[in-house]
Amino acid sequence: MQNLFAFLRRFRVFIFFSALQFLCLVLYVQFVSFPKSVYLSTASTFNGKIQSVEGKLTNHFDLEENNTALRLENAQLRKRVFTNFYRVDRAKIQVNDTAYEQSFSYIPTKIINGAVIRRNNYFTIDIGKRQGIKKNMGVISPNGVVGIVFKVGEHFSLVKSVLTQDINLDVMIGVDGPRGILKWDGFHPKTGIVTGVSSDLNIKKNTRIYTLGASGIFPKGIKLGTVISKSRVEDQALWNLEVRFSEDYRTLHSAYVVHSLIRKELQTLQLEIPEDPE
Amino acid sequence: MKNIIRYALLFGLFFVLQVFVFNRLELGYGAQVFILPLYLMILPFETNVFVLMIIGFVLGISVDALSNTFGLTASSLVLFAFLRPIVFETFRPRDGYDPLKDPTASDMGLVWFLVVFGVLFSSTLLWFFILEVFRWGETLLVLRNFFLSLIASGLVISVSQFFFFNQRRKK
Repeated sequence: MQNLFAFLRRFRVFIFFSALQFLCLVLYVQFVSFPKSVYLSTASTFNGKIQSVEGKLTNHFDLEENNTALRLENAQLRKRVFTNFYRVDRAKIQVNDTAYEQSFSYIPTKIINGAVIRRNNYFTIDIGKRQGIKKNMGVISPNGVVGIVFKVGEHFSLVKSVLTQDINLDVMIGVDGPRGILKWDGFHPKTGIVTGVSSDLNIKKNTRIYTLGASGIFPKGIKLGTVISKSRVEDQALWNLEVRFSEDYRTLHSAYVVHSLIRKELQTLQLEIPEDPE
Repeated sequence: MKNIIRYALLFGLFFVLQVFVFNRLELGYGAQVFILPLYLMILPFETNVFVLMIIGFVLGISVDALSNTFGLTASSLVLFAFLRPIVFETFRPRDGYDPLKDPTASDMGLVWFLVVFGVLFSSTLLWFFILEVFRWGETLLVLRNFFLSLIASGLVISVSQFFFFNQRRKK
């Protein structure tokens, strides 16, 4: 017993150090693995408030760029408003047509905290449970894809951005082209990597990358970026495509949360795929 | 008592600077300015190591909560606090430390500060990036972020040593 006390006395600093380190790592793990807890994150109401006050102060810095982006988007949307068409096939403009069912709706939101300097970057948006945000909803911006809702607080939510380690988005290269998986290697916030594309396919530079929409989180065909270079993966018949993101995540301030009306159906259906017996 | 107020104010200053200024600064290529270790460095020589670790933990976790790093900063600051007495002991002057002096560049000399702080800061920073990335395949990324952040933070901290902590010696 005396020896034990002597041992504890001797290593008390190290034991205390290990205990604190353990606590830090527990916090880290519970953060990444348990979606319900929003404490100690910017999605908690208190921290969210601090961030939005700070956002009010700093939002003005990028005001001009954001205005231009929004004006461009407005112009593009206006092109699609039905009254702007002179003569259109009737079947297409009938919104209540039973042949066309709305499958996605969009909730506008502001990004109040979005650092891009870490290996895993999480963005805070100013809507939460109260506005009907749920985990795993997609988030898009006028120029591309922002990420997937990761944690939902009462008034704020945390978005796991494209700039994280294991984002793995399903993408297609070119319109209805081959499929691939988008990853981020952490080196630069403007470029990502698409893997899983067979190297017998001829992929040209400047081909656009779009979302595939396979998981029902994002609609199909949202642009993500363009291919800037390709290289072969060692020992594998696969391309490694370097992609320049169409959205500049460093100056991003507004986004839309994608509410998928068909996702549940898609998921239940995909559960019925028989698993491979190994 | 006066000292406690001074260090409490400095705590707030470091917190605000890290969260609202340096964590927002995008230098590119993974370079970050990490100034929090400087706060733990300049606490008086006789500060108990347990107190030091608790201060590091509290400061780190408060910064983590506002930067979505979930305990990574706290973990690195606790490491800094743990190593501080060990490294201080290793680089002890022959006559021991003068209790009237603080572990700053102006009190202890630039060489002593650069060596001691350099050793402590490098280990803290490396620990931070290894924990953040946590993958063997991305060792190159860890090294790049580590070296560039070391340079960026080193510059900011050296400048702060010249401007802020030089004043006290004149009094």
